[in-house]
Amino acid sequence: MRDLKYIYEFEKLLLEANNDLVQKAKNDGGIALGYTCYHVPEVLLNCGNCFSVRLRAPRTGSLDIATYYMSNFLCGFSKAILERAIEGGYQFLDAFLASETCSEMNRSAEHFELLHLVDNEKFFLTFLDMPFKIANHTVKHYVMQTRNKILNRLTEVYGVNTSDDALLKAVEEHNEVCRLMSEIGNYRKEENPRITGYEYHVLNLVTYCCPKSLILPMLRETAEELKTREPDVKKKFRAKIVVVGSEIDDPDFTALIEESGALVVADRYCFGAMPGREEIHINPNEDILTQICMHYLQTSQCPRYMSHEKVQERRDYVKWLVDEYHADGVMYEQLKFCEYWGYERALASYVMSEDYGVPTAAVDRQYTASASGQLRTRVQAFVERLEIKRIQKERAMKNGESRESL
Amino acid sequence: MANLGNLYRKDRTAILKHREWRGFADTMYDYYRWLVTWKDMIVMVLKAPVSTVKGLFRYRWMASYLSAPAFVDRHVAGLRGAHLRIAHLHYNMIVKHATGLIHTSFVADEKINPNNKLSKKIVLTDEIIPNEIFSGFPNLTVVPLQTIPIFLTSMVDQQITPPYLEVTESFGVPADVCPLPSAEAGVAIEDDYPKMGCCMVATNMPCDGSVMNSTFLDRRLNLPVHLFNIPLRYHDEDVQEYAVEEVKELIRFIEEQTGEKFDWDVFFKALKNTNKQLEYELEKWDINKTAYPQMTGAAFWLYRIYYFNLSGGVDERFLKVDKKVNQIMLKAYEQKVPVSKEMRHRAVVWSCPANYYTSFANWLENCWGINVVMDMETMISYLKFNTEDKEEALKDLAKTYQRSIMRKHTKGGYRNVVDELWRIVEEYNADMVIMYDQISCKGMDGLTGVFDDQARERDVKFVWVKQDLMDPRTISRRDMREQVNQYMSTVLQENPLDPTLVDFEDDLAW
Repeated sequence: MRDLKYIYEFEKLLLEANNDLVQKAKNDGGIALGYTCYHVPEVLLNCGNCFSVRLRAPRTGSLDIATYYMSNFLCGFSKAILERAIEGGYQFLDAFLASETCSEMNRSAEHFELLHLVDNEKFFLTFLDMPFKIANHTVKHYVMQTRNKILNRLTEVYGVNTSDDALLKAVEEHNEVCRLMSEIGNYRKEENPRITGYEYHVLNLVTYCCPKSLILPMLRETAEELKTREPDVKKKFRAKIVVVGSEIDDPDFTALIEESGALVVADRYCFGAMPGREEIHINPNEDILTQICMHYLQTSQCPRYMSHEKVQERRDYVKWLVDEYHADGVMYEQLKFCEYWGYERALASYVMSEDYGVPTAAVDRQYTASASGQLRTRVQAFVERLEIKRIQKERAMKNGESRESL
Repeated sequence: MANLGNLYRKDRTAILKHREWRGFADTMYDYYRWLVTWKDMIVMVLKAPVSTVKGLFRYRWMASYLSAPAFVDRHVAGLRGAHLRIAHLHYNMIVKHATGLIHTSFVADEKINPNNKLSKKIVLTDEIIPNEIFSGFPNLTVVPLQTIPIFLTSMVDQQITPPYLEVTESFGVPADVCPLPSAEAGVAIEDDYPKMGCCMVATNMPCDGSVMNSTFLDRRLNLPVHLFNIPLRYHDEDVQEYAVEEVKELIRFIEEQTGEKFDWDVFFKALKNTNKQLEYELEKWDINKTAYPQMTGAAFWLYRIYYFNLSGGVDERFLKVDKKVNQIMLKAYEQKVPVSKEMRHRAVVWSCPANYYTSFANWLENCWGINVVMDMETMISYLKFNTEDKEEALKDLAKTYQRSIMRKHTKGGYRNVVDELWRIVEEYNADMVIMYDQISCKGMDGLTGVFDDQARERDVKFVWVKQDLMDPRTISRRDMREQVNQYMSTVLQENPLDPTLVDFEDDLAW
């Protein structure tokens, strides 16, 4: 396929947290708000002159100092964020909106305060208390948390306009990004998709890590470009898979999977598009903030939701993705030392395989995965497994066996 | 006192060759108490011999309870006088109450007694939820699901957890997660929980691992489950409304599932008992702040967490024990009786202790003269309940639950565990901190460097002891001791009080 016009520019933007567009927005008087969790509603961080930057630590090398502060036993993402912060990589931030959703990221964020990692006297750090289920009073609680700890703080410290009109404007911009990403994402349902998982991963990450207003023109053009893009005649993949699991902000991980013969058609992980790039539908007659919060609660697929309905919904959602995107299997991945996904990966991969009949593979990985030979071997083995299953299925169909008996 | 190590058999089991000689009166008292432990266990069997024997053969963990007398022996080693009596009274109450729970579990177990009526009157709860709220349902029996099969067993017998951990790990859960929820999941996978109850109350306490193992329990139990949410940022006033609503929702759930009505009078009575128990507890703390602490070692925290979660103000036997203990304690304090032969260091123990080595504090005391005057597990909620106003009582209850075991310090921000430690060190006039590095606790691991930095600033003797909570395969008891030995002999250059305890093998011990 022809390279996308902006792919190199997008890739370049992902090489630094404080990338060119972030710097430009800052120079234009924007307020940079860092966050790391889906439960901090991204759209609220794009009110007024604020812009959200989902924190990454690209090109992470040694984690020695972060390991001193947070031991060997915490996930690479939380430590990479701390290491980068200690190196001074997030000096551009005006605030860090965190949530006590997982212990590891929570501790990482706390070090911003403990070690005074941002030299900005107005810089503030705040933590949301997130409920573990959806009920009327938990929604009310979440709304109160976002109002007190995000909107009110932004107004108090930076004089940000957080009125309903400002919220609606932010939702509008957010929705345009989501519409474009969904439009682009829909091409992944094609039999021979015109966009690779890697390209989609890059595009998606850019929408999380750069100011929306600055990325939108390029995104619009990319969506237009894709309308006429021709896929390679000869498929470069041997199987299609859905990737499900913990945080991935390294597109090289997707590249590694695709180099091993599997095309990633759906990204159901933290920093992925599912959830994350669904439009927020607002009824103007109801409270806007409540509707925004409700959207995030309902769409979240985080394994920390314990209620039976949410657990079931997570599994059904993955099955839906498999069907909708015509995937051959699911790869459950877990960032090493991630407690939530350690359990979820084990049980969900078993349930998907046993109860839903979907082939699964379960892998754990480091924060930066590109150099992992072991991972490559695991993916290759999974692809072979999927191919064998497909051949067996085709042979059985040819021999007239019913589909159910397979 | 010396030469306790010579009592151990040298076959890695550390079984006592004979009982410790503590002088005539103390030896007789200790022996009498040993008999009482056996008596309580035998009474439990006699109350339902068939069910108990069936339970013994059905459940791997039940055999571990046969070693309960050895558990008590480990925890009273080297104790004398008032300290010995206080410890025995506490442990005996634990044994008495635990035998009751085991009895109920087997009688109500539908695997052992199919279609029994008791099972339908049982509400299963996550073990970490304190019992007060359930006191309002006097006609129901509440059984904390994991307490008997795995939590308590892992303290009595270090060998019981690894098989369950291996099951969970074979299922695909990584070996680096906290072994407590992992072992609990293992019991579920193995179908080793007694089958009983009309519903289950799960919770998000204390930590991420416990949140996640609930999916394993849910799949196995197949009961109506209510999720009882406890806020994390508990110092924020804006979380309290949600916390109280959660308590009310829990009450509604139990009422709907069981048809019982919440009895406020019984609830208030239980809260009054809890308040009284708290008064006794605070007296103990006050005395431990002085130059003459009367209760050091493991009995302090073990009894505290046991009654905090399982008494709930309902079982008044705890109150009687507290009253008696405090009489003994006050008398000894007035007479300025030293708690042990030689107290070289006053230590605070921080982070979660290892279940497989609960008597570690006794070893510290006997071997090196390190007396633990306060610890993190003891320092859980000490809020008093309003016992007149319904709404206020629920508010207090919600706040108490936010400060419960393993939760109060590991959630809600670093200040709850870092700043709190230095406050306690100062308040208890401690010169040393025994800092458990529970390697799989993500909440504590995330602050290791900060603890180190701040300990250096404060010039506190800070001894890291690595352990793995319920997995003795990773870091054994001997490995734990060795870390202290090295610190004491190389950094402080001290000689042990009892050289026979410095190094011995006990990897095959219960």
